[in-house]
Amino acid sequence: MFSLKPPRPTFKSYLLPPAPPPQDEDRSIPEPKIKKLDPVLLPGEIVVNEVNFVRKCIATDTSQYDLWGKLICSNFKISFITDDPMPFQKFHYTNLLLGEHDVPLTCIEQIVTVNDNKRKQKILGPNQKLKFNPTELIIYCKDFRIVRFRFDEAGPESAKKVCLAIAHYSQPTDLQLLFAFEYVGEKYHNTAKNINGIDSGSGGIPGGNSQKTPLFETFSDWDREIKRTGASEWRVCSINEGYMISTCLPEYFVVPSSLADQDLKLYSHSVFGRRMPLWCWNHSNGSALIRMALIKDVLQQKKIDQRICTAITKSHPQRSDVYKSDLDKNLPSIQEIQAAFVKLKQLCVDEPYEETEVKWLSSLENTRWLEYVRAFLKYSAELVYVLESKHLSVILREEEGRDLSCFVASLIQVMLDPHFRTITGFQSLIQKEWVMAGYRFLDRCNHLNRSAKESPLFLLFLDSIWQLLEQYPAAFEFSETYLMLLYDSTRISLFGTFLFNSPHQRVKQSTEFAISKNIQLGDEKGLKFPSVWDWSLQFAAKDRTLFNNPLYIGKSAPCVQNGSVKSFKRTKKNYSTNYTLHSRHR
Amino acid sequence: SSSMASAATPKYNSRSLENDSIRRSSRDGFTRDLCEEIPRLPGETRITDKEVIYICPFNGPIKGRVYITNYRLYLRSFETDSGALLDIPLGVIARVEKMGGASSRGENSYGLDITCKDMRNLRFALKQEGHSRRDIFEVLTKYAFPRSHGLPLFAFLNEEKFPENGWMVYNPIEEYRRQGLPNDQWRVSFVNKRFEMCETYPSILVVPYHSTDDDLRKVATFRSRNRIPVLSWIHPENKNVIMRCSQPLVGMGGKRNKDDEKYLDIIREANGQISKLAIFDARPSVNAVANKATGGGYESDDVYHNAEIFFLDIHNIHVMRESLRKLKDIVYPNVEESHWLSSLESTHWLEHVKFVLTGAIQVADKVASGRSSVLVHCSDGWDRTAQLTSLAMLILVYCLITACVNCTVFKLESNTSPCFFQRIGHGEKNHADTDRSPIFLQFMDCVWQMSKQFPTAFEFNEQFLITILDNLYSCRFGTFLFNSEYAREKEKVMMKTLSLWSMINSDKGKYTNPFYTKELNRALYPVASMRHLELWVNYYIRWNTRMRQQQPDPVEQRYMELLALRDEYVKRLEEMKMTNSAKLTSPSASSSAPSQMMPHVQTHF
Repeated sequence: MFSLKPPRPTFKSYLLPPAPPPQDEDRSIPEPKIKKLDPVLLPGEIVVNEVNFVRKCIATDTSQYDLWGKLICSNFKISFITDDPMPFQKFHYTNLLLGEHDVPLTCIEQIVTVNDNKRKQKILGPNQKLKFNPTELIIYCKDFRIVRFRFDEAGPESAKKVCLAIAHYSQPTDLQLLFAFEYVGEKYHNTAKNINGIDSGSGGIPGGNSQKTPLFETFSDWDREIKRTGASEWRVCSINEGYMISTCLPEYFVVPSSLADQDLKLYSHSVFGRRMPLWCWNHSNGSALIRMALIKDVLQQKKIDQRICTAITKSHPQRSDVYKSDLDKNLPSIQEIQAAFVKLKQLCVDEPYEETEVKWLSSLENTRWLEYVRAFLKYSAELVYVLESKHLSVILREEEGRDLSCFVASLIQVMLDPHFRTITGFQSLIQKEWVMAGYRFLDRCNHLNRSAKESPLFLLFLDSIWQLLEQYPAAFEFSETYLMLLYDSTRISLFGTFLFNSPHQRVKQSTEFAISKNIQLGDEKGLKFPSVWDWSLQFAAKDRTLFNNPLYIGKSAPCVQNGSVKSFKRTKKNYSTNYTLHSRHR
Repeated sequence: SSSMASAATPKYNSRSLENDSIRRSSRDGFTRDLCEEIPRLPGETRITDKEVIYICPFNGPIKGRVYITNYRLYLRSFETDSGALLDIPLGVIARVEKMGGASSRGENSYGLDITCKDMRNLRFALKQEGHSRRDIFEVLTKYAFPRSHGLPLFAFLNEEKFPENGWMVYNPIEEYRRQGLPNDQWRVSFVNKRFEMCETYPSILVVPYHSTDDDLRKVATFRSRNRIPVLSWIHPENKNVIMRCSQPLVGMGGKRNKDDEKYLDIIREANGQISKLAIFDARPSVNAVANKATGGGYESDDVYHNAEIFFLDIHNIHVMRESLRKLKDIVYPNVEESHWLSSLESTHWLEHVKFVLTGAIQVADKVASGRSSVLVHCSDGWDRTAQLTSLAMLILVYCLITACVNCTVFKLESNTSPCFFQRIGHGEKNHADTDRSPIFLQFMDCVWQMSKQFPTAFEFNEQFLITILDNLYSCRFGTFLFNSEYAREKEKVMMKTLSLWSMINSDKGKYTNPFYTKELNRALYPVASMRHLELWVNYYIRWNTRMRQQQPDPVEQRYMELLALRDEYVKRLEEMKMTNSAKLTSPSASSSAPSQMMPHVQTHF
């Protein structure tokens, strides 16, 4: 890539008809445009730095498809603005927040600057100096993209400034520096005006469907879920209102009716994160799915454990026993998953195509990514069997109960309950078992680029859903495209959904921010960030139709009602062998 | 946890339960009278039956009775009432072996071991007393390998009747006419009318207009088995052609043949191009060189100045056979779990598929680009060559193929590819025959890969491909029985047997891809990358009950329901028309055309 050295435009070249390109024949360099190119900015978005006459590289082996334009760094994204059309039409949809060439700052993984005259290369961290003028900027994205820009015709100083700005703004030191705060703050300042036609803060409306996604922020959402699943011996508990007990639990959650608030408060002191047992879901046979953190107080352990299990048994119509599942012992750790992801990314992104081609299958196996996908599917299928065929309640136990539990709890529910295979249902599931249950999206997605706590558990979860979709193409209302765009949304720091480590963190941080910006919150608990589920913010109605799986046979279809597709019980053995066969990664 | 998991598996999952009445009657207990009720085709006769223990690799030993007819092996369990546990055409059997001796100890150690051509093995245990297995072994051997025992293949005894006649599907002259042949550059030659020039070629050949039959005979002397370059396909627009042949007989001495050189030049010039003729040698270049030792070789560019040779690195039949054997090892009876992907990689099966596809893409691209005509050969020009030319055509003209599900391409190519079916070894005992190879299976795998990558492009579905493969071995139809038109004519196959296409065309709905969307003239270039190729699980691992998807496939079921509903509406429409015309009332029937009925269909579900 360093060999590409197109001639600098000279005075002559502007006056005379373009001279035939020297040496290389298939290279045709379009003349740089002097036209004014303006970025599209969101409310609260400001341009930090920009540089003109930039070339965006499209192909790795030739410059003939390169695009000319302006590179801009804002506080939300890097944007490349060009009049040239994309040489290859890639997507069938357009994101309303991001242009074709834009990369949100939170999607940037690494910034590499290159000067190929001096044969120098530097990975740019925040607040670093750059001793050379870059001729090339390579941006490695968290979504496996690599974006390359060349500055051969650009002003060297402005190119350097843009690179430094990108490095600075993509690696903020504080959560409140993420763009979502600026955006939502702007919105509160302009409450009178309806910004950009956007009215946000609620569950949103999925494509073609008028149902709202329950966010499980309120008492009534939980109450409705109890009634929907027929969990009559369970109640909504509000002792955590104002996050008085635990800062990593939602304000409302569901517990066995026989457990009194007083007892719960008492037990909470002995549990990691003061996380009391959380009810997830009830099977129609009465078995319940519960998740909780480990009891750290060794002396109290047995007693509390006993009491909780008794209460769960009491809530079962057949008074069945509780099956305890220790996730930490049975599943890969988040560190192992991260290591697998790094290898997978290396294989897909870094290594030369032809070399990996020969050993593709074994290299893929060596990443262990699919092995882990399989592990979660297999383990969850086993728990499905316990819940459904053995009629036992299942309690998922994990040290803090905030990682693997989210995954396993949601996977089990997708396997057992067709409701969660609809778009609204699936979104409510993510709200219930991930967002509200305190999955550390901020740390795990590494929005602040501090890397130590990063782990792609949520991606692994979506991958396992994709595997199910491949095996049961008619069982899901949503499509592969939906899953991809959902994952992309975790990288857009405009939505509150995947921005925080817990609901409490949202309230705390945004209240602080509101005070510092003189925003009147009134009755609201923290700022209301736009929700990812409000898909109309990102996609036009036409594009949202791509979320729908054309093969989906809804609940009313006879073959679903007849029981063969209703649950995954009969085919659970599939998991033992099938997953590794699906080696396709697109 | 493994015990937990196994409890949910159905005890077994039987295939092909076409005959419902059997299932019902066998509930009453097992009597010998019921033997008569095993499903039989017209012309099928029962030979023998025997009490056995079927050692099922997935569910353990199952007691039952095995029935042998002159067409199939059929097993019914004593313990359950679910009809056939096994229903296998004898043609599928590759080998029957005795296991254990009269003095063998241990449970179920005495019996028969049957190797099948369709990726499975069967094992039956028998009672040791009284040489009980001798009879059944002899019957099986005799009827599974009738040709080695002077008996006719079942296809010649089959008395089935189908509304369609599949033998009429393919007419070479018609086929060439559809391609605009003959024209001013290409002519139909009858030089091989009585197979006197080349026994393994069809009687009708398309050759350059400017070559005389005499020229052809001279060229034949320089091509292995006299298989001269003949036209396979002509591009409708740029008039470039795909030619096929066998290797030139260059030998160690580097022999030359002026007629052959001239002939290739005529081919090159036929489309008015001045560029070089592209010769695709399917073999790895080392093998091509090595072939000189046995009198073969390739067209070197110091002799053929106007040709350019490319080697496609596709290995020979022996390598393919070995690769498939390795594949079988990892999928049957048990799927290698722990290192599945690397085990799969080590079979090289997908890699071979990749090379075949890559080769076909290169051939297709060369022709489509309009730069030059293409000549394809390997050694004898009947295995890899047939794969490549068929696939290249599938890439370029898939809409033609799918327009008639009968797969003109298969016919076309099998006509000029004698060994496609010698590779199967129909009705012959010699299981170790080194000429047997999974070339056709590999071709079908390539087609399947394409259908996966272009799910709306093919009119046929996966079931179609599997049915063809199953009947490749079954010996129920004459379609795949002989190696060449010559042999087929000698055996009067078209008169004495049925065509597989008769069965398929009589029940087209079953083999139709519901997602098929007709498009015109778009070439389909598959991505031949290990990243995109998949193992055809529904074929290679279909015997493993644990691998099966939820049954029945809801999409397929839905499609069937809609088809049934459509038929019902069409029927009702006909009835209404009848009553209307009977009453001689005003024309109201036109308002209920099937397409307009469709919206109502929705409300039923």
